[in-house]
Amino acid sequence: MSWGGRSKYWWDFLMAMTEKEIKARYKMAILGFVWIFLNPLLQMAVIGVVFQFFVPVKVDNYFLFLFTGLLAWNFFSYTVTKNTPMIVNERMLIQKAKFPREAIILSIVFSNLFHYLIALLLLLLIILVTGKINWWFLVCLPLPLFFLTILTSGLSLLFSALNVRYRDVNFVVQAVMPLWFYATPIVYTLNLIPQKLWVLFYLNPMTAIVEWMRYLLLGIGISDLNRLWWGLILSFILFIVGTIVFYKESKTFDDWV
Amino acid sequence: MIRNKETIIDLQNVTKVYKLHHEKPTFSDHFLSKTKWESFSALNNINLEIGKGEKMGIIGVNGSGKTTLLKVIAGITTPTRGKVSVKGKVVSLINLGAGFHPDLTGEENLFLNGMLIGMKKDEIKEKYKSILDFAEIEHFIDAPLYTYSDGMKLRLAFSVAIYSEPDILLLDEVIAAGDKYFQEKSFKKLEDMFRQDKTIIVVSHLLQFLKGYCDKVAWIDKGEIKKVDGISLLKEYTKI
Repeated sequence: MSWGGRSKYWWDFLMAMTEKEIKARYKMAILGFVWIFLNPLLQMAVIGVVFQFFVPVKVDNYFLFLFTGLLAWNFFSYTVTKNTPMIVNERMLIQKAKFPREAIILSIVFSNLFHYLIALLLLLLIILVTGKINWWFLVCLPLPLFFLTILTSGLSLLFSALNVRYRDVNFVVQAVMPLWFYATPIVYTLNLIPQKLWVLFYLNPMTAIVEWMRYLLLGIGISDLNRLWWGLILSFILFIVGTIVFYKESKTFDDWV
Repeated sequence: MIRNKETIIDLQNVTKVYKLHHEKPTFSDHFLSKTKWESFSALNNINLEIGKGEKMGIIGVNGSGKTTLLKVIAGITTPTRGKVSVKGKVVSLINLGAGFHPDLTGEENLFLNGMLIGMKKDEIKEKYKSILDFAEIEHFIDAPLYTYSDGMKLRLAFSVAIYSEPDILLLDEVIAAGDKYFQEKSFKKLEDMFRQDKTIIVVSHLLQFLKGYCDKVAWIDKGEIKKVDGISLLKEYTKI
């Protein structure tokens, strides 16, 4: 097969796997695909009501502030947590044929990205109704989304590959995710943190992504513009590392599952 | 030996070492070096050339490395040492039913399974009708797969694999899918493939089958090739 043919096959296969993920989720639900919209709306309603009475941070429109960060976080944490044991779970597939193994992982990333984008669209509608939006900022939105996807894919590939040999990785990821949530300024702003400690927060790539998203959608300022790039560079490095480790390990997945 | 056919599968000094662990290793065990690795060579320095259109039977006792050899040729795993070169599309009838999703329809599963074993989307569209006809499940193609019987699933999987038109077909034991009627039908289809210019490798304990359908036999013992010869090797094999 030519290079073009191979990459077309790769892409078609990945899309077929992604489609499977999305379809299979709603197959047995009476409301079916309505849940794609209903699910994030319900989530927003519940959290919106809760935080009406309990607002820990002084920010204009805390609901929007919270949700912009929360949606990005949910995409990231659901995907990485689900993907970590994925190669082990799909052992029957691995033993069946030679196919691009990364499609198993990336199909989860893409199907969750699809759901995230729909939720983001709903959030945008709410922002439009309740306030103003800077259209120029909106054009830039694909940039943080791109880095978020890169980071999520990279860690998914890395953890799922390592988990084949060391099943501990799954437990570590499950334990670390809630801590990571609180280490990311999602329910709070960095302004509440002594400035000396900001360095540490920016070592977390999610900090940069969440702040950037909030800046573009809500116009809330970024705490430290100079350090914003750390997160992006780190995301990129993690993606490269994840890809390399996954590629090396994938050759012998069959020996370990 | 005179070889006038193009070599399609070429294994050079192929060794596959598995690390035997009696329990799954964990991080802590690993660093405290509690686990004692036990190396096990499933394949040891295998040299094997298979020409285009050859039908090769692989014999040997259980645990001699036959399945590992098929996995290496199929590209499911990578050898520890050595070179493997395979020209053309390989399809194995290993784990036939794997990769089906119970909630998706027969049609959706057909496409997914086809792509999983390396078919292109357009190719599946082209052969869609023939696959359905052969599997004889047209009536149920819109139903989710969990409503299928095991026989129906196997029929669908077998049809997809057969219609993928591989250059190289790997059989781990001769698969008999479904009821007696379909078994005969699928066996006929396999016979057709044996008559065509396809390269076929069969791992089997059914020496009668190998005698009738293969033109070469490789005898594997303890991960090494003991001998490669014509079907007369089967006689030698049965003696011990």
